[in-house]
Amino acid sequence: MTFPIEADFSESVFLTNDDCEQTMTPQAQHPYDVVIVGSGIAGAVLAKTLTQAGKTVLMLEAGLEAGMALDPELAYQNYQRYLQTFYSKANKATNGPYPDIKDAESPDVLEIQAKTPYDTGYLVQMGPLPFASDCLRAAGGTTLHWLGNVPRMLPNDFRMKTLYGQGVDWPLSYDDLMPYYAMAENEIGVSGDVDAQVGPDMGRANYGAHYVFPMQKIPQSFQDQVWMKHTQNLSVSLDGIRYEIQCVSMPQGRNSVPNPLYHLGNVEWNEAEKKLVLPVVKSPYQVVASIWSPYTGERCEGNASCVPICPVQAKYNAFKTLKKSDFGKLEIRTQAVASELMIAPDGKEIAGIVYKKYVQGDAPQYHTEVARGKIYVLAASALENAKLLLASNVANSSDQVGRNLMDHLVLLTWGLFPEKVFPYRGPGCTTYIPTFRDGEFRKDFAAWISPLDNWGWSWPTFAPATDVSNALAKNIFGKKLRQTINDLVTRQALLHFECEQTPEPENRMTIDPKYKDQLDNYRPVIHYDASAYMRKSFKAAKQVSDQIFAANKIQDFTEYNPAEPDFVNWEGRGYTFRGAGHIVGTHRMGNDPATSVVKPSQQTWDHPNLYLVGCGNMPTLGTSNPTLTMTALSFMAAENILQQLG
Amino acid sequence: MTHSILKLANGRRRHQLLPTDLLMAQCDSINSVRALRQHLQTAVELEHSTIPPYLCALYSINAESNEFAYRTIQGVVMEEMLHMILAANILNAIGGEPSINSPQFIPEYPTYLPHSNNAFLVSLQKFSPDCMDVFLKIEHPAPQSAPPEAHHYATIGQFYSAIKRALCHLDQVTPGGIFTGDYSRQVRPEHYYGGGGKLVAIRHLDDAILAINEIIGQGEGINGSIVDTDHELFGEQIEYAHYFKYMEIFHQRRYQPTDSAQLPPSGAPVAVDWNAVADMQTNPKMSDYNKGSELWQKTYEFNYCYMQLLKQLHLACNGEPEVIMQAVPVMYELKYKAIELMQMPTASGKRAGPSFEYVAI
Repeated sequence: MTFPIEADFSESVFLTNDDCEQTMTPQAQHPYDVVIVGSGIAGAVLAKTLTQAGKTVLMLEAGLEAGMALDPELAYQNYQRYLQTFYSKANKATNGPYPDIKDAESPDVLEIQAKTPYDTGYLVQMGPLPFASDCLRAAGGTTLHWLGNVPRMLPNDFRMKTLYGQGVDWPLSYDDLMPYYAMAENEIGVSGDVDAQVGPDMGRANYGAHYVFPMQKIPQSFQDQVWMKHTQNLSVSLDGIRYEIQCVSMPQGRNSVPNPLYHLGNVEWNEAEKKLVLPVVKSPYQVVASIWSPYTGERCEGNASCVPICPVQAKYNAFKTLKKSDFGKLEIRTQAVASELMIAPDGKEIAGIVYKKYVQGDAPQYHTEVARGKIYVLAASALENAKLLLASNVANSSDQVGRNLMDHLVLLTWGLFPEKVFPYRGPGCTTYIPTFRDGEFRKDFAAWISPLDNWGWSWPTFAPATDVSNALAKNIFGKKLRQTINDLVTRQALLHFECEQTPEPENRMTIDPKYKDQLDNYRPVIHYDASAYMRKSFKAAKQVSDQIFAANKIQDFTEYNPAEPDFVNWEGRGYTFRGAGHIVGTHRMGNDPATSVVKPSQQTWDHPNLYLVGCGNMPTLGTSNPTLTMTALSFMAAENILQQLG
Repeated sequence: MTHSILKLANGRRRHQLLPTDLLMAQCDSINSVRALRQHLQTAVELEHSTIPPYLCALYSINAESNEFAYRTIQGVVMEEMLHMILAANILNAIGGEPSINSPQFIPEYPTYLPHSNNAFLVSLQKFSPDCMDVFLKIEHPAPQSAPPEAHHYATIGQFYSAIKRALCHLDQVTPGGIFTGDYSRQVRPEHYYGGGGKLVAIRHLDDAILAINEIIGQGEGINGSIVDTDHELFGEQIEYAHYFKYMEIFHQRRYQPTDSAQLPPSGAPVAVDWNAVADMQTNPKMSDYNKGSELWQKTYEFNYCYMQLLKQLHLACNGEPEVIMQAVPVMYELKYKAIELMQMPTASGKRAGPSFEYVAI
């Protein structure tokens, strides 16, 4: 049920708007050079890069006005509210601290049910398996709750079809993307040790001879040191082949000590060469602190709550980028939910983006406005981008929009160390195992990356709260209770296998007029399953886990329960996988307009003034957390847009 | 160097440094490197002596009901910590050895500022108008006519001016200069962060002058003479000195760009809730409680934690600069322990509080 209080599709909306008079160009048709939908990391990179290059930008953000506060005072107050909400919630799920509003709903991992179909949440889950990942529709996007692991993809990840007969090849090579990776690492402010990034298809060559990250690595946790004692160089066997396990430090998007050898400055548009460059500068890397104070968040303080919220903003978020925009050239409209793309009479050009401006997050009142620019960029997440395209019947001559929905399918294994390892000291992950990121086995089953998690059993069992209630149920209380918890929680080990889902056309997001939200916008309808290729990797991962646990004398407490969502069988055994929050692939790039939605330039095949950015462009996922690669692609898109604008 | 403006990478102007050339009255009392080292040790103690009172005020309020005051005092405390390390760096640069963990290092509150003219006492007390009055005295700017003052100074600026003069003079007259300290003993920017501005590692006189200007500039801020110029002193983009920040709390108003440095702020009102404050008893002592009682035990644990922090700072300023990183979690622990104490009732009807007393560790 909706109550539109105004419907105005005329351009006069913009010509009379005082806010934009200063920034708009005289051309009535195109008051802005570029209209961007979404203020997450992709949108922020675009807004910053384009305005710094002198282009005018209008940004639409579906989330609440308060969330967009960039003024130090208001930004602090808003963030403290997020923190208070986080502290007060019993369940510390990914979107917990942030407003869940009816006018721009987010998926919620707490709503996932074992039995499909159901439509009780934002996502309509048609199954056969529920899609288990979420993202955040709010100013700043999912960088508010992301973990911040930023390993690069591997060169072989871009050639999955050629090398392993799986999925598709990318239309770009690793080498094509390399300079943009450096830009992304500069923008996010990556802490890490390049020389430690060694493993299959990994090494110094992936980075270049003298390359370093902006900041030194985050110290590996005490727990990781214990893991490594018996895991580093451990030989494990899988299908008769031996693999030597390596443990390496994780590059991260959180602040640490600046690396004195790093001498790259802010990404700049070089007008003469028509390209983006990372200038070499004399001054050392300047750490970007919290958005409210240069005194807060200059270093990671080891709070273990990175997901869902870093209390000091030592962890990167998109506001840090957005704040660097030229605000003389940027207008941001919040509480503005893009709902449809308008096509010009020629059927090619996008003529405007219709958006619904709501008054209050949960109230149904809104009015409709149109945003117009020369070029349009959708940066609203893989789900929302695809939804907008499908709702507008735009950019879909390939019939690929919404298809190839991917995620990392996460198999968890957990147990008890014989000694205390003290999880929760430091950020979520400081070490990972790259050993199964690449190899001939990818012809047969999915590759994975294994972070050593620093969160005890909180993910699989909701520990330590459940440890307390279990003890109470056994009538343990007082001093004994403290001893019990102290003994249990400090020994909890969690291992984590992020298996690379391959693109499947039937794993897809669609829309259906039956399923709409309060503003009469579509809700994503998801069809989803885990293929044999994926299930086979669960079996392999569990076998590797068993050998690592044995070497560490970890008592295995892993339990996969048929009543859980995403419980699957393979060769007579059951496994439960979880979502990684890596929502990818719904409008993939390619060299062929028949099988892809965007060109390698990230311009849509069908509409010369429409670009898509974000994880939806990725043809395959690799074993990297996708944000870094998506950010690199966003810089590439910004460069292409600047070239097109001339 | 006059009217320098440090520009941060985020584009905010930080603050305006003092003109270096305060009126030069005679100041002949720091006439040897040995005396200069003693004065720099005093400077370290002086910077430290303000931190416990500021922390008591800070932890007696909470960030939600007194957000402006909380953030302001927190920012000032962090700058005082920076000043303490800067003073220690200068001392190290001229071959001294800062002493931070001795029993004499911590003043017994109420106390006069170390080496001052004993004009006012500083107490450990809750946030209140009285407390802010004392803070304003601590941070009071030197009048333009005030001479450098190595002993019995009225303002901290005078004391530092005397040190600055001595640094210049002794460096000039000493063959080979006085900056002969081992550079590896410097706490460098990569070790220190989050603490109110940029840490300067000291190699030579210029660095030391820059560091002292930073200390005076952040504390008392602009000198009266600048007021007469058309320089903009206040406004959103300017991060001004402690004295003026405290004036804003005291008068519950922000400065506006047209305000004079010699008059109270006349800008927008800010909310300060003098009542939403833990009613901490003034200058608590471990001896107030029976040894072994919970109050005694908690106070002792706080002090033990504080001594650990001082020990880490001592090591950091004596050849192990990387140890300072380990101080961060201890600072958090200190905060939690202080807040816990301020929730515990005492026999007087007031709440307990951190006593900042020396205990052996």
